Formats: sequence, structure tokens, C-alpha cells
Amino acid sequence: MDFSLSAEQKDIIKAAREFAQGEFPDVARDFDRDETFDENIWKEACELGFVGIFVPERYDGAEYGFFEHCLVTEEFWAVEPGIGQAILSTTLGAEIISLFGSDEQKRLVLPRLVAGKEAVGVAIAEPGGDWDVAAAKTTAIKDGENWLINGSKTFVPNGASARFVLVYCDLLPDRVQGDGRYGFILVPTDSEGYSAEKIHGKMGLRAAHTSTVNFNGVRVPLKNLVGKEGEGVRQLGSYLDRLRLTMCAQAVGLSRAALKEMIQHTAGRHIFGVPLNSFQVTQFKIANMAVRIKAAKNLYYEAAWGMDQGRTDSNLIAMAKQFCAETAVYCADEALQAHGGYGYIDEYKVQRLYRDAKALDIMEGAKEMELISGVMDLGVA
Amino acid sequence: MNIVVCIKRVPMTQEVDLEIDADGRGVNREPLAYVINDWDNYAVEEAVLLKEELGGDVTAITIGGEEDEEILRRAMAMGADRSIRIDPGDRVMDSYVVSRVLAEVIKGIEYDLVLTGVQADDDNCGLVGIMLAEHLGLAHAAVVTGFTADGNQATIKIELEGGINEVSKIRLPSLLSIQTGINEPRYVSVIGIKKAKKKDLEVIELGDLPLSDEDLSPRTIIEEVYLPPETEGAQIIEGDPSKVADEIIRILTEKGVNV
Amino acid sequence: MSKMGDIFVIVEHRKGEIRSITFEMLYKAGEICKALNHKLTAVLLAGKGQPFASDISKWADTVLVFEDDRFMDFDSDTYKEVINRLILQQSPFITLIGHTSWGMDLAPALSVRAGYPVATDCVDIIVEGGRPKAIRQTYGGKAFSRVSFRESPGYLITVRPGAFIPPDGAADRQANVVMMDIPSDLGPAKRDFVEFVDTAAGEVDISQAEFLVSIGRGVGEKENIDAIKDLADKMGGTLSCSRPIVDMNWLPKYHQVGTSGKSVRPKIYLALGISGAFQHVAGISGAQTVIAVNKDKKAPIFRVADYGVVDDLFSIADALKEKIKG
Repeated sequence: MDFSLSAEQKDIIKAAREFAQGEFPDVARDFDRDETFDENIWKEACELGFVGIFVPERYDGAEYGFFEHCLVTEEFWAVEPGIGQAILSTTLGAEIISLFGSDEQKRLVLPRLVAGKEAVGVAIAEPGGDWDVAAAKTTAIKDGENWLINGSKTFVPNGASARFVLVYCDLLPDRVQGDGRYGFILVPTDSEGYSAEKIHGKMGLRAAHTSTVNFNGVRVPLKNLVGKEGEGVRQLGSYLDRLRLTMCAQAVGLSRAALKEMIQHTAGRHIFGVPLNSFQVTQFKIANMAVRIKAAKNLYYEAAWGMDQGRTDSNLIAMAKQFCAETAVYCADEALQAHGGYGYIDEYKVQRLYRDAKALDIMEGAKEMELISGVMDLGVA
Repeated sequence: MNIVVCIKRVPMTQEVDLEIDADGRGVNREPLAYVINDWDNYAVEEAVLLKEELGGDVTAITIGGEEDEEILRRAMAMGADRSIRIDPGDRVMDSYVVSRVLAEVIKGIEYDLVLTGVQADDDNCGLVGIMLAEHLGLAHAAVVTGFTADGNQATIKIELEGGINEVSKIRLPSLLSIQTGINEPRYVSVIGIKKAKKKDLEVIELGDLPLSDEDLSPRTIIEEVYLPPETEGAQIIEGDPSKVADEIIRILTEKGVNV
Repeated sequence: MSKMGDIFVIVEHRKGEIRSITFEMLYKAGEICKALNHKLTAVLLAGKGQPFASDISKWADTVLVFEDDRFMDFDSDTYKEVINRLILQQSPFITLIGHTSWGMDLAPALSVRAGYPVATDCVDIIVEGGRPKAIRQTYGGKAFSRVSFRESPGYLITVRPGAFIPPDGAADRQANVVMMDIPSDLGPAKRDFVEFVDTAAGEVDISQAEFLVSIGRGVGEKENIDAIKDLADKMGGTLSCSRPIVDMNWLPKYHQVGTSGKSVRPKIYLALGISGAFQHVAGISGAQTVIAVNKDKKAPIFRVADYGVVDDLFSIADALKEKIKG
């Protein structure tokens, strides 16, 4: 078993790290405080090829694997999670188009994502309904040559700024039940009846843009359905696998950032005349963080590598996501604790990390759900 | 304009406690992370900028083991067209030998300009570039912060002391040792990395070069490397930031600075 | 030791003035000569009528003067050619050259051409058993190394500016000034001097400030500079910085302290997050009191500072602001 990364993968990691370290730290605190973002950073990341690294060359991407996407994600988050999210969330949903879309849909969406010309959004969760995939209340009904869409979605990344949003819809709302009723529809955000409102007051990841979106009689051509009618549940499953893997990388990156803050602070901070890190309790904490980060990384590396080999293991991914997210929350918590009162002030980065980390615990399936999904397949539950 | 740029991979030692190695003639490099020497990064950028402006090609060269290829791939990802690694085996080299070996390889390349960094971050000698110029019989300038080509000559800016720059004209081909700040080195791009994979990275074994024992024998010998004694120097002000601040203000007042 | 060669010092001058590195080298060379009975020779290349020889005549036993308008301004090519011939003819035991921009351009090439080994940027020179050894710093001043040379008719050493400060009364020799013939076959110069440009002039003159609050790489991010600027304002100080800050375009050049920036002489120099590369330290030798704050307890700045604080510079900056407010 060979655990080593290729020279190319190491080069990608270094390049992503250098870019993030060069561009993110100066602006991170202001973006977080003001819930803003500078699109030029995203555009530069696109020019350098970090965004949509998995997109095929045919659609102007670099055609690396999803694993490489995870490596870039981890490095960006290891510098600044909020900015990492603001940049890399612009391709959320591109995975669905990449895997299941028509050539026309791919040509329409993918090159412009890679070029930094526009973002895509993906609208799945609904107010109240959350992630229950069998309970999407947003409907899409055939009306002549068009789909007629009604409903609302929430936590839509880039809902107010994207050019297209992929909407998870119930295609057969009149039927009482049936597997084949869901599908993703590509909706231009300039369609009549589309409205989006940016969500303010998020706890963390405040540089990244998230919206509530309403579809009020939106009409789009029938060909905007991704794949065939009724494939939605399967598509969603594939998407969630990828999303959760991305989140593993995010979590490991954030954990590394927390560990770095922890090490720096405890080396420089003196109590009773000696550095904080000369106490064994601090050393144990640092060691524990490092051990968990290594374990989390190996877990997601295996899962991501498997996916690129065509052997996607959804249970492994669910377990990895749960463990990685928990690691991130744990590391951010320990690092903040070690900062004492300073950690409570937003002058210190560790506070931001602490707030950002919680999102990983909650987003895309709360951790309790992942455990159930993982364990049920082991035949335990 | 065809350009050769000589680069080196060095350990990062800022905010790291160095340890002396077992034989006392170097530092323990095992725990250190490595990067391209900062000065050399500016030299690579300058080479690529000139190539983009004037055409021609850029060759990056280093002397080192396989792990040092990382900086050659980096240079190619930034825009160098090809690269050469000279494998020294286990031979110990000083700046003279390094420059002699580089000269042997570079004299087989067509070039108008050879660039190096002013110095390397590890040994801080600042010798290889200008020594190389002498081996190759080139016009040379050290600590260069500006370059504008003008036919078979160029106008260069040389950083002197005290904020003074010297402007000079220099004949081409020439060798310039590049100072930091001359440009703004670009980030390495994913597309660059992908392209670099297809570019030629040639490996030359030292033994295959027509160099004599005399060519390869160091002129200087490092007898000992040691850390400066810790007690030397500043009187350390201890305590929490508040106590330290009080003490700093006391010193300021004592020295006649009113705050 | 059959033959005791001289110790040569290559005189560096600019804009009609001898540079202080020249006297520092003459002082150190004089010390070696006293201990070991060598003769001290200053080698001067200058333009016609440049009256440098009298400036240094008390510092050496011999001044060899090459006077020609081609030598008015430094040109490594011409200097190299003239000095190489002189060295091969006279076999000086040690030749000292300043570790300056010009010295860095001259010494390595001269070493190869003359076949004399060279050590650069030396902070001390020891002579043992008829052979010199050089003490120099590596890893940006975090380590020292002692370097010896392969046996040779003579050795070249470049000297770090500020390493040897001559005390009063160091000039106690009387030189024999010798006008040298200019080689008639000097090739055409490969480099032509055009002009000097002052890049460090600006809105603030840090060289006149009494209290400098100075930042280095440790400030981490551009956005943090405002906080330190604010601190400097509140404390009535002037903001200055080390080279990396200017290289990254975070502050204009006229804030820069060090060999390539300005030399300063404040009453108090408060160095925040400055590691203390020698190029920087050389610029603060005129400071009365240096207080350094750095997280890295091994940072070279602590070796030249009067007071040191091993802590995060922002914690200290915040605490200072608090105190001043109250």
C-alpha cells in the first residue's frame, strides 16, 4: 500500500498554500466582520486554476480528480475557512452537471465556472424540510415545452450571485408516492419569478454567500432537467458523497489552522514566567490534536482516492465526514481555550475558526445522521 | 532573449530553533521544511517576465538530489521551458565548485543572459553567481533591482547602500545576481503545474562532466558551525504584556522619550 | 612562513567620499599587522585629482594609487583587471574587500581570476599557523561558521560593514603614497556607469526621528500595519520597517531601515517582529537604545538589542496602547 502523494499532487498543495497564504490573511478579519468578500480573489484563484480543478479539459478545466479538489480545499481552509468557502463554493453543483448533465448543459455551465466568469448554486434544503430527500416540496410540473417551478429553498450557496442554480424538485407532486419523482433542474437566476435573499448573521463562514431562494412560477425549458426524470435521488446521493468529501478536506484544513494557532500562541504566551507550552497539559492537548488530524486526513484520503478509482464508498465517506467535522470542532475548541480571554475577541483568528468549525458539524447532514447512515450499513442498527 | 536561471532549494529557518548536526559542521536539516531560495524565486520571475516580453526560452538549473527537482518543476510551472538537475552524488562542494560545475553545463547552452539570486538563504555566501560569470567570461553585476533590454546591451539598476541605486549599461551576454523586490513573483498555477509535467527535466550526473579533481576540489573548508551563545545580548524583560508595557514605558521615559 | 606578504585593503569610495567600510577594514587589517608583523597596503583606484590618498595615509604603511578617470566610479570589470594583476605580482597574504554591493560584485570574480580562495561577509578574522580563518554568519545570523582555506599564495576576505568599528586614535601609521602605472592594455569596459538615483527620499525622514517604532516580517499581514501605525502615533513615534515590508509593497521605501535603506540614530528603536538580519542591524548601529519584541527567542535581533521581549508583538502593542490611554 503506497500512501505517498505524487510529485504533481505535492506541487498542487504547495501552489494552493502559497496563494492562500499570500492573499487571504490580509482581508480575512474584515470579510468576517462585515460579511463581505472581494470577488477579485475568487477571479485570481480561477485564473490560477484552483477552482473546478476536477472539470474535464474539454470544458476548460484541468481534469484532475476529486482528490485534487480536496487537496486544494484543505489548503485554502488551512489558511482561512471563510475565504476558502467563498471561493470554492462557486462550483457547488458542478459535480452534478459533470456527472449527469448533457454536453449542452456542461458547455453552458462548466467553462464559465473555471474561468471565474460566474458561479453556480445548488438548491436542495427547504425551509422546515431540511435534508429529507424524500420530502422536497418544491415542485416542477411540465407545462408545454417548459417546467413550471414553485417553492422555496434555503442555504443555497451563491443563490443571489450565481448565473445558474440547480434546483432539487418534486417532478410528480400529484402522485402519492414513488421513487422516480425527483430531479435536478438547471434554472437561470434571471428567470422571471426567481428571487434570492442573502442570509445575514451567520455564525461563521461569513465571507461566503448563502441565500434563501424563492421560485414563483419560474419557467425553464424541459431540456434543463439534468439526466432523466426520476434520477434525482441517485444524483443527490452522488452529489452528497462529493460534498461530504469536500467537507472532510475543509475540516482537516480548519483543524490544521487551529493547531497552528494553538502552537504559536502557547509558545509565545507566558504564564508564571514560563511559556504555556512548557506545561505537560498543553503538550498533551497539542499531541491529541495532531493525532486526530492525522487520523482524519487518512480517513478522507482513502475515501477520496477510492472515489477517483471509481470505487465510491458512501459509508466510508459518511464516517469520514463525521470524524473530520468532529475533529475540527474539537481542535478549534481546544485552541480557543488555550487562548483564554483573547480567544473571545475577534482580533484573534482562533475565534473565527471556532465559529467556522461549527458549520462543518451541521452542514450537509448533521453528524448524528451520518453516524446512523454509516452504522446501519454495518448491520449494527 | 534566451535565459539561464540558476536556483537552489534551501531550508526555511525563520522562527525555527536550529540544532548543530553530529559532526559539528552544519545544522541538522532533517526537521526543516524546504523552499526555493527567496532570491532565486525573484530571478525565475525576472527570467519569465523577460521571456514573455522579448521571446526566447528559459532554462532553470539546480545542483541537487531528486528531492530538489521540486524547485525545477516550480520554475517550469512559472514559465521556464526546460530544466536541468545536476546530481552531485555525495560530493561536498563549496561555492567555487558549484560555480565551476554550473559553468561546465551552461557553456553548452545558447544564452543571452544568466540570472542567479544575490545569495542563498542558508550559507549566505553570495558567491556562486559572480564566480560563474568569471568562469564563463561574462560581464556581470551584483544586487540587481532593475533590467531593461536594449539591443545587445541592457540598462540595469544596482542596489547600493543607503537607498542609493546605481544605473549602468551592461553588454550582453551577461550575468546578473538578482535582488529581492525587483518584481512580484507570480503564484504557481494549476495549469502551470500540468504543463510543467510535459516539459523536459534533464538529469546530468556529475561524473559525466569533463571536470578534473582540481575543478571539483573545494577552496574553502567549513571547520565548525556553532550557535551563538544564548546569554549574549539583550536584557530580557519578563512578565505578562501589561508588566512588559510598563517596563518599556519606563525605559522610554528614562531615555528622554515622552509618550 | 618564509615570506610575509602584505595585507591589502581595497579602498571603496562613492560620490567623492571614502566609505566607512574602508576605515573599518583598515582598522582590522592594522590589528592583524600589529600582531603578526605584516605591512598594511591600501589599494586605491580613483579618478584624476580625487584627493583620497591623504584621507587614508594615516591608516596604512603604503597607499598604492591607480589614478585614471576610468576609475572615477566603480566598475567590477576594470577593478578586477587592475587588482588581479597587482595581486599576482605582489602576492599579498590577505586582501580585504568590503562586503558591499560593489564588493559582492568584485570579490567572487577576482577570486576565480586570481585563483585565490575567498570567504565572504566575515565578522572576524583569525590567523593561525600562517593561515587565515574567517568567522561568518549563516542562516540569516542564526548560526556562525568558522571557515578555513585551501593553501594558496594569498586569500581574499570580504568584510561585513559595521563588524569592526575603529576606536579613536586607530589611525597611527604614516603611509608611503606610490603612484602606480596604469596597465596600457586594459580591455574596453563591459559596463558603463550612468548615474546614481536616490530611491529612499520620501514624506517621512526616519533618519532624523528620535523614537522609531519599527516593524518586520513578524507583523504577518498588511492589515496589521495600521494597528502599529496607530501605536506609533499614540506614542509620538515614527513608523519604520525592515526590508521584507518594502519588498512586499506594504510600506514605501522611505520607511526602510538598513543598509539598502536608511541608517537611523534615534534615542529609542522599538523593533517589533524584526528578526535582525545584519543588513538591518547595520542601519541601527547609531540607535542609543534598542528594544526588541520577537516571538522567536533565538532571533538575531536579541544579540544587538539592549532590551528584549520574547512575546507576540501584538500582545505587547495592545498593552502599550492600554497604558498610554490610561
